[in-house]
Amino acid sequence: MRNSNNCGNINTNKKSLRGTHIMVDLRTRSRVSLACLSLIILAGCSSTPSTDSGDPHESMNRTFYAFNDTLDKTFLEPVAKKYADIAPDPVRDGVTNFFDNVGSLNTIANDLLQGKMGRFVGDSGRLIVNSTVGIGGLFDPATSLGLERHEEDLGQTFGTWGANEGAYLMLPFLGPSSYRDIGAPVMGILLNPLTYLAPVVTVPLGAVNAINSRANLLDATRLRDQAALDPYTFVREAWRQQREFQIYDGNPPGDGFEEYIEGEGEAAILRVY
Amino acid sequence: MNSLNERSLIEMNRIRKPICVALIALSGMTMAAEEQAPRAVVERLHETLLEAMTRAEQLGYEGRFNLISPVIDDSFDFNTIARIVTGRYWKDTAPAQRDSFKNVFRKLSAATYATNFSGFSGERFETIQTEKSRRGVIVKTALVKADGEKIPLTYLLRGNDNKWLIVNVIAQGISDLSLKRADYTAVIKKEGFDSLVNRLNDKITAMLRGS
Repeated sequence: MRNSNNCGNINTNKKSLRGTHIMVDLRTRSRVSLACLSLIILAGCSSTPSTDSGDPHESMNRTFYAFNDTLDKTFLEPVAKKYADIAPDPVRDGVTNFFDNVGSLNTIANDLLQGKMGRFVGDSGRLIVNSTVGIGGLFDPATSLGLERHEEDLGQTFGTWGANEGAYLMLPFLGPSSYRDIGAPVMGILLNPLTYLAPVVTVPLGAVNAINSRANLLDATRLRDQAALDPYTFVREAWRQQREFQIYDGNPPGDGFEEYIEGEGEAAILRVY
Repeated sequence: MNSLNERSLIEMNRIRKPICVALIALSGMTMAAEEQAPRAVVERLHETLLEAMTRAEQLGYEGRFNLISPVIDDSFDFNTIARIVTGRYWKDTAPAQRDSFKNVFRKLSAATYATNFSGFSGERFETIQTEKSRRGVIVKTALVKADGEKIPLTYLLRGNDNKWLIVNVIAQGISDLSLKRADYTAVIKKEGFDSLVNRLNDKITAMLRGS
């Protein structure tokens, strides 16, 4: 069931809308952003709840959305487009595979926290196969062996434990999040081996990851720009639904229609708002 | 009297069994038909989209729009969709406003398909499963890319024996109805219903220009 306050949700695989606004990759970011996060939590808590859209921090969120969007349109998107034009697909796939692989410890840990033992074993197998046979994760032979790729994080874990979204948050640099999901990037960073390398390695790798991740989202943001009248609302809604989709591992309950209809069959009527 | 009743009871019993069997068989058939019709609506839409993709260059944007438009008009329940995506504002709108909204929404749907299904690289559509839901029939499908990657597309249809129509499409977990309702009601709230119609018209113009 969708939660009553249209909270509760999900997020993404690598080409989905999630993180439409990832400016810098979560996994390699510095401690400065962690400090930012806690500031935002504090700021968030002091704003007044209101609205029927389950978005009590809307005015603050819109400010950060505008900030992210300006940054994206000015720097990241143009660079990502250039990169997508220049880099051949096998290169892009290799880069994506590499960062997926180094980030997969986070997925494995969350498989465990969610009690998904089958996935825990499968995702661990992926990490081993791809790190070795897949030459440090540049290739993804595990998928061909039937070990499908998953993506789990701490926000999804809290979701499977029954936590609602709490409140939607638009984070500067990081994009859409919520009370439930704000710990996810922190855990992702801590469980990413790249975090513990020297900055001279981490920083350029982080830049490559950011550009490559943004390039993977070019289709999604094109659809957003094509369809959205109010991009802020559009992204919030899309993010929430993808998050729910992810928490339920692609099988959210309901038919996506129950919130609009009262009653069943012929007697069903559209709910009037 | 009594014996007559008894006799008719016996008679009844004799024929009841076959009737039951026939009824069960019939209900099975109607179940199948009930799921067959909605499935056909979705597959016809998919065939049209695939044709738009494979003949994309020859047709051009306008050709694709003209190919897709009548099929969409025939496949979607725009009355229901219009009420849902405008949320609580629907009941405060005049009949003329409702008509202009439905009109622009139909066009926008066709324009969106014509814009996004504008090339072919080995994709195909696959119907995975058709199931009854409490509110209609769910048709689960996927757009399968040449490399085997599947993009799940789930349709919800409502209807009766004569006609089944699509009310919602869920693409990779994102419900089109919910997304549009959030977006559109935000605009109505801020700028009013007529502004929503104007801005959707602008979107159509932008797609035509970008084509």
